[in-house]
Amino acid sequence: MSKILLPRRRFLEISSLSSLGLILGGCGAPWFEQEIFKATEPFNQSIESLLLNPSKLIAEFPTSSIEPEALLVNTFNATPKIDPNKFRLRVDGQVNRPLSLSISDIQKIEPVRMTIRHVCVEGWSAIVSWGGVRLRDIITLALPKDGINYVNFKSADGYYESWDIVSALHPQTLLAYEKNNLPLPIDNGAPLRLASPIKLGYKQSKWVTQITLLKEKPKALGYWEDQGYEWFAGL
Amino acid sequence: MITSGLQIYNANPVFGGRAGWHFPPIFLLGGWLAGGRHWHFAAMTLFSVNLLLYGIYILFTKRWKIRFFSAKDLDALQKSNNVKRNNYAWHRLIYTIIIPVLILSVFTGIGMYKPAQFAWIVSCFGDWQSLRIVHFLAVPTFIVFAIVHWRLALKVGGSSLVDSMFFR
Repeated sequence: MSKILLPRRRFLEISSLSSLGLILGGCGAPWFEQEIFKATEPFNQSIESLLLNPSKLIAEFPTSSIEPEALLVNTFNATPKIDPNKFRLRVDGQVNRPLSLSISDIQKIEPVRMTIRHVCVEGWSAIVSWGGVRLRDIITLALPKDGINYVNFKSADGYYESWDIVSALHPQTLLAYEKNNLPLPIDNGAPLRLASPIKLGYKQSKWVTQITLLKEKPKALGYWEDQGYEWFAGL
Repeated sequence: MITSGLQIYNANPVFGGRAGWHFPPIFLLGGWLAGGRHWHFAAMTLFSVNLLLYGIYILFTKRWKIRFFSAKDLDALQKSNNVKRNNYAWHRLIYTIIIPVLILSVFTGIGMYKPAQFAWIVSCFGDWQSLRIVHFLAVPTFIVFAIVHWRLALKVGGSSLVDSMFFR
């Protein structure tokens, strides 16, 4: 006979204490939230990267299903003022050919259009059509060195984000300059923003001005990640 | 699961969006959206593994044949005047109903967690909003289940039975 360490009733008695969570959480306190995050995030992230198939294309939508009103504008700071004639996209870091591209340079690269679901961490989503260039085409132009694992993005408004290289090289990860078949509005990140079906909205930086290829994970992971959001944020 | 879920709900209410009604802080867990997500995803793993182990247990011990609501219970509810038999049948009915509800909340949850990799789950429900509504409906359904379960237990064994579930 094995000895029962925790009799059923004793277990239920203890589990009734779980309702104390109402009081704990009810104070609006983020107590233990970071501890829980640190304990479960590595496992969560391994599942996320396992689920991401680098070559599998995410199903797209017909343009008739675009939801123009559903895409809300979220910005952590103010909308920056950018002179399109002076705008340059810099590509640097672990590359053999650092780049400084103007808008017309970028528009010479083979354009891509996709209609995908944009999902915000807040819970809403919108079907949007993005037009632009594949991020991987720009990375290829810069002749990347071997062993790159991360990509860092800087934006004109001070926003910053870092991605895993697998997601950055995904064929549906774009630097977009069109939204719903029209030039990208400034509120949505003109002249150039990230757009991808495989990452949550806060990974998709607007007003991107600098792309840095890295071997090591940067210390500053991203504006929201440094406040406590999850880094991988895969969909 | 419920309190952290409602924390996430409040970031953009399923009904009415940002202008919609928000749940008061007493029902929330995590303090803010990221905290709610962390609790929700941590609990999600325990919840799903627990449900899966239960499924394996019930399958391999063949208890699924006897544990759930059956034609006999339906028969009893329609014909029997035996109060005890009927109470038993009602109990088996609500216990059986809650299982698909729990499985459905995992299923819709996976659809919202990885909508690109599991786009077919989102398609099952038509669109994103329907998926969110179905996922959210687990909350009122579970609360109703808990209340019915409690009332039935009171009916069968009075408060001493209900107390004994937790304290004695």
